[in-house]
Amino acid sequence: MIETRRPRQQWIGHVVLGLLSIACIFPIYWMYATSFRRPADVGAASLVPWPLSVQGYRDAAHIIDIGGLLLNTFTVAGLTAAGQLLTSLFAAYALTRWRFRGQQLAYLLFVGTWLVPFQVTMLPNYIVIVQLGLLNTLAGVIVPMLCSVLGVMMLRQHLQAFPRELLEAATMDGRSSWATLWTVVVPNLRAPLASLAILLFITSWNEYFWPAMVLRHSRSVIQLGLEGFFSPEGTDWSALMAAAGLACLPVFALYLVLQRQIVSAFVRSGIR
Amino acid sequence: MIRHWPARAAAVAATLLSLTACSVGTPSGGPSTSVATVPELAPDQKVSITFESYNLSTAGPWTDTFNELLDNFRKQHPNITVTAQKPGGASANGVNNSMSSLQSEVAAGNPPTVAQEIFGDLDFMVDKLHAHAYDDLFGRNAVQANFGGAHPFADTAKPLGDVKGKTYGVPFVFSTPVLYYNASLFRAAGLDPANPPANWDQVKTAAQAIKSHTGKDGVYIDCLTKVSGDWCYQALVASNGGSVLSGDGSKLTFADAPAVEAVGMARDLVGSGVMPQLTQTQAFPQFAAGNIGMFLESSSLQGNFVKGAADGHWDLAAATMPQFGSKPAAPTNSGAALFVTASDPAQQRAGWELVKYLTGDEAYSIIARKIGYLPLRTGLVDDPNSSLASWVAQNPLVRPNLDQLKRLHPWLAFPGDNYVQIRNGMLEAVEKSVFQNADPNATLTAAQQQASALMPAK
Repeated sequence: MIETRRPRQQWIGHVVLGLLSIACIFPIYWMYATSFRRPADVGAASLVPWPLSVQGYRDAAHIIDIGGLLLNTFTVAGLTAAGQLLTSLFAAYALTRWRFRGQQLAYLLFVGTWLVPFQVTMLPNYIVIVQLGLLNTLAGVIVPMLCSVLGVMMLRQHLQAFPRELLEAATMDGRSSWATLWTVVVPNLRAPLASLAILLFITSWNEYFWPAMVLRHSRSVIQLGLEGFFSPEGTDWSALMAAAGLACLPVFALYLVLQRQIVSAFVRSGIR
Repeated sequence: MIRHWPARAAAVAATLLSLTACSVGTPSGGPSTSVATVPELAPDQKVSITFESYNLSTAGPWTDTFNELLDNFRKQHPNITVTAQKPGGASANGVNNSMSSLQSEVAAGNPPTVAQEIFGDLDFMVDKLHAHAYDDLFGRNAVQANFGGAHPFADTAKPLGDVKGKTYGVPFVFSTPVLYYNASLFRAAGLDPANPPANWDQVKTAAQAIKSHTGKDGVYIDCLTKVSGDWCYQALVASNGGSVLSGDGSKLTFADAPAVEAVGMARDLVGSGVMPQLTQTQAFPQFAAGNIGMFLESSSLQGNFVKGAADGHWDLAAATMPQFGSKPAAPTNSGAALFVTASDPAQQRAGWELVKYLTGDEAYSIIARKIGYLPLRTGLVDDPNSSLASWVAQNPLVRPNLDQLKRLHPWLAFPGDNYVQIRNGMLEAVEKSVFQNADPNATLTAAQQQASALMPAK
């Protein structure tokens, strides 16, 4: 009885997963399909865009500096992720390497910042950015984002499971805490660090609200460049979809190359 | 040094409270209370200013046109460095970011030198953000002189940025509601495109003819949703003899009989099947594709419609806003004014130079041709030496808009801190009545009762 039900259950499971996959992939397919339609056919409901046209891509390249915007976005996402990784590593190392008064409280304060919505910290952050003279600069987007609670939590979990014997051996060898971090801890945490870096990069790449607050000129990041296609005169859908399709490519490329690490990052962040 | 933690905590709390108070209270820029005018710039004085405009949020012709204007200004004023910026904020529509962006900037103590804000924000700009009165900064004579010149401002446009007898905003770019129509569909429906509907009864008749003869939708009024804003809706109400606000601005009147009747007219168009239930975003391309007979809309959409008509090989025509029966139509203005929001006198003076340029002959010639907004210096249109005269001769679509400027009714700004909620509450009730078949009288009355509680205390 059980043996006869299993294949059927598996089959149903595969159908459900298949349908969910289609639901996830279809909007992405539709974006690229729309980007290859002629501007006059942009409202067409046919599944296959025909005749094919690259006019949307030409228009998008003419209206915004896609290459420059992608480079800026890459710079912002890369530096933000690198900064977050570094601060997370230092914080997690400090929270697990030593025992000190207020240790638990310090960790809870980190976690507690997750309870504060961004809208609450937005204006104080904005005022600080203005006072630092960073408004309208890429640094203004990066600096307030240099600490990630997610990163601290994930790395703390990994470091808690780190063999203390290794750390003690390093101390007995006469290595300083700083040297131990870079010669013992980091090499052994390569996989979780890589997974976290990818997560932080993608999160930063997709960030829209804060860059929209800080950057006011057209030479900003791709997220804001896409905004320019919306107008009171109507939206240029074919150019917008072309630009959005190009904006997705770097993240898709990253995903294809580092697929295993990304899946591992999502799974490990949930179960450890 | 504060050594004890309770004292430290108190100091931190006090700092946070101060920060909070700063962010929601009086702007650090502060109001202008001086009566002496701002000194002129010295010939070699270098000044850097910022100009914030929601038009810069849109790539393509809008940004290109503004960049062209600012390049021209820089050539004429090499001592003034202008940095143009769009409002910060998460909305894809820059207009929606405009006021929240300015509030953040004021709270942070770095407002732009010149800000472009919609007329619907006028009261809030003056009462809460303490916008400077041009009359106080530069003298009333200078302000009025700017409205004059070889091609003076239209008389109806001049006072649109005035509050209590002083000019706080210099009217900059705006349109009036224009009835665009598809002359090809008119002919196919046996209608005469040379005689477009003059009142709403005729609009309904023409729309029914278009629907029955061509199968296309008859008409769309883009004034009846939260997205469309209330400037055009106010024109409908005023055309039926009403208003959304009492004369002294103290009482809401958007549920009075004229407003209810105006909403009832639109509801009837939907109910009779000649007005499609579309959002603004859906309706624009439908009209541009030749699938709707008539469209009441701002002239800033004209470029889009002209392109659509050329691509779809149909004839675009324009007429003035229809009236209710024999009552004269009361077109209102959309658009925005320019406000000087800086506190530094040199920046204020440089900002005034920018405002004068942007509201001058050259700027209006460029804006009218490239964006479709009204040239508020209407004499340009009739001056044979002006580049705009020949352009208007070749583009008669702009004529109804110009005609309506002569009998313009101002777009009224709701008062108090809650003006946006009041406006949205009203438009949600209108939308519900027109597109969801709710009873206009009951829906508008309920919305007005709710919104009245949000009006400022007398």
